[in-house]
Amino acid sequence: MELTSIALNFRIQVTARSLIKLVYFSRHEDRSIDDKRKRSIKERLGVTNGNRRSYPILGGRLHFVKFETSKINECLDFINSKQLHRGGMDSRLWLSEAPPSDDVIIKATGGGAHKFADLFKERLGVSIDKEDEMDCLVAGANFYLSLMLSVHLGSLEVEEDAIRHEAFTHMEGHKEFVQIDHNDLFPYLLVNIGSGVSMIKVDGDGKFQRVSGTNVGGGTYWGLGRLLTKCKSFDDLLELSQRGDNRTIDMLVGDIYGGMDYSKIGLSASTIASSFGKTISENKELEDYRPEDISLSLLRMISYNIGQISYLNALRFGLKRIFFGGFFIRGHAYTMDTISFAVQFWSNGDAQAMFLRHEGFLGALGAFMSYEKHGLDDLMVHQLVERFPMGAPYIGGRIHGPPLGDLNEKAIFHASKFTLFINKLGSGFGFLTDQPKTISGAVF
Amino acid sequence: MEARCSGIERNSEDGGSKALAPDEISHLALDIGGTLIKLVYFSRNDSWSVDDKGAKSPKGDSPLRVSCSNLDYPILYGRIHFAKFETIKVNECLEFIRSKKLLHGGCWHHEAPVSDKNVIKATGGGAYKFADLFKENLGLNLDKEDEMDCLVSGANFLLKAVHHEAFTYMDGQKEFVQIDHNDLYPYLLVNIGSGVSMLKVDGDGKFERVSGTNVGGGTFWGLGRLLTKCKSFDELLELSHQGNNRVIDMLVGDIYGGMDYSKFGLASTTIASSFGKAISENKELEDYRPEDVARSLLRMISNNIGQISYLNALRFGLKRIFFGGFFIRGHAYTMDTISVAVNFWSKGEAKAMFLRHEGFLGALGAFMSYEKNNYDGLMVHQLVEQVSTSASYSGDKIHSSLAGDLNDSESIGCSVYTT
Repeated sequence: MELTSIALNFRIQVTARSLIKLVYFSRHEDRSIDDKRKRSIKERLGVTNGNRRSYPILGGRLHFVKFETSKINECLDFINSKQLHRGGMDSRLWLSEAPPSDDVIIKATGGGAHKFADLFKERLGVSIDKEDEMDCLVAGANFYLSLMLSVHLGSLEVEEDAIRHEAFTHMEGHKEFVQIDHNDLFPYLLVNIGSGVSMIKVDGDGKFQRVSGTNVGGGTYWGLGRLLTKCKSFDDLLELSQRGDNRTIDMLVGDIYGGMDYSKIGLSASTIASSFGKTISENKELEDYRPEDISLSLLRMISYNIGQISYLNALRFGLKRIFFGGFFIRGHAYTMDTISFAVQFWSNGDAQAMFLRHEGFLGALGAFMSYEKHGLDDLMVHQLVERFPMGAPYIGGRIHGPPLGDLNEKAIFHASKFTLFINKLGSGFGFLTDQPKTISGAVF
Repeated sequence: MEARCSGIERNSEDGGSKALAPDEISHLALDIGGTLIKLVYFSRNDSWSVDDKGAKSPKGDSPLRVSCSNLDYPILYGRIHFAKFETIKVNECLEFIRSKKLLHGGCWHHEAPVSDKNVIKATGGGAYKFADLFKENLGLNLDKEDEMDCLVSGANFLLKAVHHEAFTYMDGQKEFVQIDHNDLYPYLLVNIGSGVSMLKVDGDGKFERVSGTNVGGGTFWGLGRLLTKCKSFDELLELSHQGNNRVIDMLVGDIYGGMDYSKFGLASTTIASSFGKAISENKELEDYRPEDVARSLLRMISNNIGQISYLNALRFGLKRIFFGGFFIRGHAYTMDTISVAVNFWSKGEAKAMFLRHEGFLGALGAFMSYEKNNYDGLMVHQLVEQVSTSASYSGDKIHSSLAGDLNDSESIGCSVYTT
């Protein structure tokens, strides 16, 4: 499917710590097949508009792209090449209330929204409307979590039953999606692991409080890892860890207790007593250690620590569920296992770690959603239905989608695509995937 | 049942006693940890004479006696000595014991078979790990005491018996804390060794290990060693004095263009991400000053321990947190970071307190455990502060040293009686 060049608007989450996350919507060209599809959806669902004006159902796609902050220029080039900032609504297709596209405002959140405001103005002539980062994180999380809760609607072609999968647990290599009752969603603890970590108690839509955080986060892993292993990127560092053995670096309980457990206090011999505790030996220097082992020890140290502090805060506020988001995790199985282990260990099994499939884009999507409250356009997001086949690779580092022309492809890490139907006022929209063979959609 | 300790005899019948030979040593106790071996022992010392009120006590046998049941006991004056060694250099420790003739410093039950002589109280994992080594090398049997038991009894003992043991450190000011014996419990004991144990102490012998963390002193030293090639813990601490953490740490201000994130109470100087600036592609490890690296590392670990400590204090409603272990060593920046973390995040509800004999809690606890099991109990009657001539654990400077010859310079005057 080709993208049209018309983009509605885009939202960016610029963490400025290390990553820029961009969400934009592109509208499909009107094609007969789309109309037919739309019509049949309407029919199937018996959507009527009653006395209201008839609003077109707009089909399009929501795109998710990320860039390293140091590659801000590539991000700007990307926006420019796709003319995302010139988009605005095509007045042919929208109602006449479409705002003029003169003064383009882009929603942005994260620290970089402040930092890069001038740059965006110079390069693209756009103003940045800064949204509070926490607001966006929470809105994004609630949005994704609510995805699960939407009503099944009919589908046109379906390969398998609708499964709305956003939250999942990940223990010992095993992933399991979690169904959460809408009435039972709040309150929860949202732990966003970016360069640093924020821990947010979420009580409802727009109701939250940043209760804690830690400065030992993704930036620490990357920074320390870079110093110790000379890795060029976060992904390289993670990759290394997969072949590591931390026993050469960490001091385990068994190392202190002559191979035994310290069972009286419930510590097995393989429990880490002191991360990096073994490297005090005079005989070995940094060069004598394998970078794989170092990376693994670092990853465990930081993941355990985050898991522990998260649990202590969940306990403090009586929260049963902890959702972990942020790009530190990036779908890395071992990281999720380690965090899960830590939460389980420290809580004696009382609490469980959960992850969100769209972990890295919570803020960007939250910023996207924030158009609603400002009335900047009439995009209202009420409810979503999403379908996609199991195993759709929406997380991870691979590049999907059509080539992006002249742009340096290394700058684009990840794009996952949904197709979005938008009903302009008052209803909702549905998702389609671009994966072959699975199409569904719903509007209401 | 009478127990007999080599060197210390009790003889209540004739009113006199066979005195310990001057400087005779008894009751050696060890705490063998992952990184350090801590050692305490008692030596009878006739020349000691000053108590904390400045009153002199007579030399030789004291006419003072203490009553217990129907018997009374002479009080003996002497000193408790402290020493430490790196665990990887355990042979130095063995040599020290041998050279100081501490070999016969254990107390043994006179009914025990000869082969059980020379039993020494020991705690920590090394009591298991090195049992054979001590046996082969010195003929010493290690009588193993539980590490947590010893930490707690050592802490309780110090807090009650030593006059100026606990102190707070705020805004560069050190202030000793008066401990009301009736108001001591409950408290949180955070022992920062290679790793960290956190214990909720409710009374004598009443406690629960509620938490811990694997990011401890061993992490600081280990990571520090890899990053700076420092040869010792003290060297690393020394380096951190001249460091500036803003080079390496990413601050809130770095992210928010110099501003605070005041909506959430985060000042622009708050660290958002430790080592977060080191991701820069243009610089390698060699391009950073080791001072800055050491400082960031120290800050990261101290802050983290402070945070987890206060979260546990909050959890159990504990107002006082005592920090033990050899991580702190009277280092101002460390104490400041921990104090700020505890005080700020608990909104003043909890207070961080430090202990002068921080690293010897376990060894002292093991020392105290001679009391039980019918060993010749060395009941510690009174611990009196003695100004030592060299090493001190208070103040801004780092005075501890792992060199064998400087060991043994720390000691506390005390009087004991034996039962």
